Amino acid sequence: MQILKNKTNIDFIGKRKPAIFISTLVNLAILVGIATVGFNYGVDFAGGTVVELKFDHSISAAEVRERAQKGGLHDVSVQNIGGASENAFLLRMGGVTQLNEENAAKAKTAIEALGTVRNVYSDLANGIINFRSATPLTAELIKSAVEGSGTGVQEVRVLGESQGGTGVDYQVVASGMADKVNSALKAGLEKPDFEQRRVDYVGPQVGKQLRNRGVMALLYSMVAILIYVAFRFDFKFGPGALLAMLHDVIMVAGYYLVSRREFNLTAIAALLTIVGYSVNDTIVIYDRIREDMAKYKGKPLAEVINIAINDTLGRTILTSGTTALSLIGLLIFGVGEIFDFAMAMLVGILVGTYSSVYIASPLTIWLDERAAAKEGRHGDGMKQEPKAA
Amino acid sequence: MDRGWWWKFGLIVAVTLGTIWFLIPSYYSLVVMDRAQRNDLAALQARLPAWAPPAKYRLNLGLDLQGGIHMVMRVDTKTALQKRTERRGQQIATYVADKKLGEVTAETDPEKLQLTLTAKDPATMDAIEKDVLATFGDFKRVNRDGATLVLSPDESQVNRFREEAVDQAMLVIRRRIDKWGVAEVDVRKLGTDSIQISLPGRSNPEQAKELVGTTAQLEFRMVDDTNPQFFAQLFQSNPPPAGSDITVSEEGGFPQLQSASRDALLKYTEGKVPENRQVVTECIANPLRKNECSSYRTYLLDKVVPLTGESLAGADASVNQMNEPEVNIAFDPAGAREFEKLTEAGVGRRMAIVLDDNVHTAPNINEKIGGGRARITMGRMGARSHDEWLGEAQTLALVLKAGALPAPVTVGEIRQVGASLGDELIKKGGLAVLVGLGLVLLFMGLYYRKAGLIADIALVLNGLLILAGLAFFNATLTLPGIAGFVLTLGVAVDANVLINERIREELSHGKSAKAAVDQGYDRAFWTIFDAHVTALIAGFILFFTGTGPIRGFATTLIVGLLASLFTSIVVTRVIMTYFVHGRNAQSVSV
Repeated sequence: MQILKNKTNIDFIGKRKPAIFISTLVNLAILVGIATVGFNYGVDFAGGTVVELKFDHSISAAEVRERAQKGGLHDVSVQNIGGASENAFLLRMGGVTQLNEENAAKAKTAIEALGTVRNVYSDLANGIINFRSATPLTAELIKSAVEGSGTGVQEVRVLGESQGGTGVDYQVVASGMADKVNSALKAGLEKPDFEQRRVDYVGPQVGKQLRNRGVMALLYSMVAILIYVAFRFDFKFGPGALLAMLHDVIMVAGYYLVSRREFNLTAIAALLTIVGYSVNDTIVIYDRIREDMAKYKGKPLAEVINIAINDTLGRTILTSGTTALSLIGLLIFGVGEIFDFAMAMLVGILVGTYSSVYIASPLTIWLDERAAAKEGRHGDGMKQEPKAA
Repeated sequence: MDRGWWWKFGLIVAVTLGTIWFLIPSYYSLVVMDRAQRNDLAALQARLPAWAPPAKYRLNLGLDLQGGIHMVMRVDTKTALQKRTERRGQQIATYVADKKLGEVTAETDPEKLQLTLTAKDPATMDAIEKDVLATFGDFKRVNRDGATLVLSPDESQVNRFREEAVDQAMLVIRRRIDKWGVAEVDVRKLGTDSIQISLPGRSNPEQAKELVGTTAQLEFRMVDDTNPQFFAQLFQSNPPPAGSDITVSEEGGFPQLQSASRDALLKYTEGKVPENRQVVTECIANPLRKNECSSYRTYLLDKVVPLTGESLAGADASVNQMNEPEVNIAFDPAGAREFEKLTEAGVGRRMAIVLDDNVHTAPNINEKIGGGRARITMGRMGARSHDEWLGEAQTLALVLKAGALPAPVTVGEIRQVGASLGDELIKKGGLAVLVGLGLVLLFMGLYYRKAGLIADIALVLNGLLILAGLAFFNATLTLPGIAGFVLTLGVAVDANVLINERIREELSHGKSAKAAVDQGYDRAFWTIFDAHVTALIAGFILFFTGTGPIRGFATTLIVGLLASLFTSIVVTRVIMTYFVHGRNAQSVSV
């Protein structure tokens, strides 16, 4: 059996200009989209709380939302996951703690009413209110005051007397959203008809850290791979490999952008894997180009590259095909982020194959031609054919 | 078949058998054993046959697959720094007064972390500025305007303080979790100001938050012994309400109130103590259950906290020449000065060591203690054995070292997965692997015939090697790890596609079967090698930057790629060579 019965002789290099033009356009559109519309960041990066619930009876997402709102949870998104018969839902809330700007202002007023209080400042990121009171207060008093203003309190900590004797420092820790979900949905029921199967709870500062770390990881791996490619091949192969890599990463990011699927840590893992994988196809072709450059000495580089691409076309399709095949199971049985991961990988494999042929190789020619032109200008004025190797 | 081939063949057989042998503990842990006992290494060891590898080499399931809690705690170093700056400000003011340089007031700006000193007499400020900056090296001058001097803490000092705060918080958290008796708990530092905690099998995130969320505060406070009979007199003149179990007990000549309820003691004494005094209790540990208090006793302490655990430089337990257990503590320079002043003023009084609002011990001050070193000698009172006292000394040293949490800790991230969801994910993940692997195996067999079947054998061996490798490195299998497993198999089979395509190509050039196979492998080798290295680079970077489940993905990817270099190149070549050279075949089925 053979996927390509006859040797192909497609003029890939001749079509490089429209291909690069279209790819650049799509890439720019995605980058603009990321800058203006932005990803649908998951809790990993945006911070917030996700609770996965499974009900023991049939219920719709709308009913769950209604129940949550009745219980006092307003800004909550409810999403059905898995099969409809599973009655499993993801509840997403923006905040990590019950402290938001509005609540914090109310809590501040409530605390200030307790006595001579100063230095009240709330740290929304951590769900903390710090303040100093001139006279000692009891934790119960503070707790009831803050809870009265609409913020659930997990703990009131006495930080101790200030050294100058100007008062006692207190810290109020607001309680988490997962608590609130449970109590809101349980309201009016004798015993809960659902099971809390998963809670993801990420503070906004941690989210920012995770996001920065993800971006840094992407940059590092691209640089490291680029150095390896430049070292193993020739420096003129470097830019082509890099741009192909960037192209693939941006395209996969585009999948997350357009599909509005959650962009989270798993998405970063997918992007990084694509960085490692996309260069594979490129290497197969580069290896062949290098081999053919020695074989067809004297032929223009463009022609050699076209031969190399055509010769390796069958295996380029096959390697991508087998990897794509292995993902099918994940696409069928994967839920949530694993499905997204498999889908993103599939997109990455397809665009990776395309970019190896249409982006990485043509760029090598372009660089070579430029180098030759420069040589021609600065050299002894003789017209030179682009030389291979 | 030459000797080289037999060597390689032997190696492959040995690796295959070794891999299967190495997976025995994993098989027992995941299939044979009870679900509840999955993390019980001792039980697993007992079930394993004697010839199997040790139980610790079993495949760990990640928290997302077996259920449990993953937490990241953030150490709130900002609040701690504010408190510290404020305390230093007060120390500066005292220093200025003590050296008779003048009189200053210190004001702290909590947002900017700046200290503003204002002199009563502007003329004294020049001398004060010079002396203060020379003495308090951990502060830098920001601004000076007439009678006011603005200082800010030195950058390197702030960083060191931050680091210490996180380290100490980690110790405390570890100690508290140990008390819970959670098996297989993992506590580690994450970045500059976070601590990561994994609790397999736990299901209530709020409970876990409580465990690590509370802050321990270590304080050194003076006991008010101006009236040693205070509690006895209070009990007589103002007896507790009927039905109360409050009694008066006496130890070392100091009567104390004792009750099984801490609240009862605090309620009873509320409002009955002199101004600037506070009643703090001591927990008398239940001799049978060390984590519980059987009763509480009262102490009357000065309200002022002159010294906190932040000034402590170290603590350790030892035995002195008299064979008495003792705890040696060392203070940092600022703490040493404060401690000297405190002990000088308090000779004959007792100093209470208070941890988390609980009096841990209240040793007597025998003399002024200078040099920043103090000794608490144990075992002079109470009927306990020498060993018990030594144990007590060691615990106290640990409490002193680890108990002082200079910074409040908040929850940065909680990920909890219920056990039933974990089971479901394992089932679905397993199905996904079977379908993906099955399709690839089928395709290879159909497309490349015999060469495809050989690649299939290598692929299955690769899968087993990944699992054994994960078990060997004590890595965990996570849900993204399963995705990585599938993907790695897809990438591994790419190598065989490249080789087989190359063999076909060589055959089409009219080469003999033998030559085609040899050249196919030789020529494809560097391409495969390069492709693996680039994927490995991405894998390692993912490993070093990722956490939790993502790290599991990276581990699977790395182990799989390394295994793939062996299986898709060495293993398939040995088998192919057998068919072509050994059988002296004229044709090859690719």
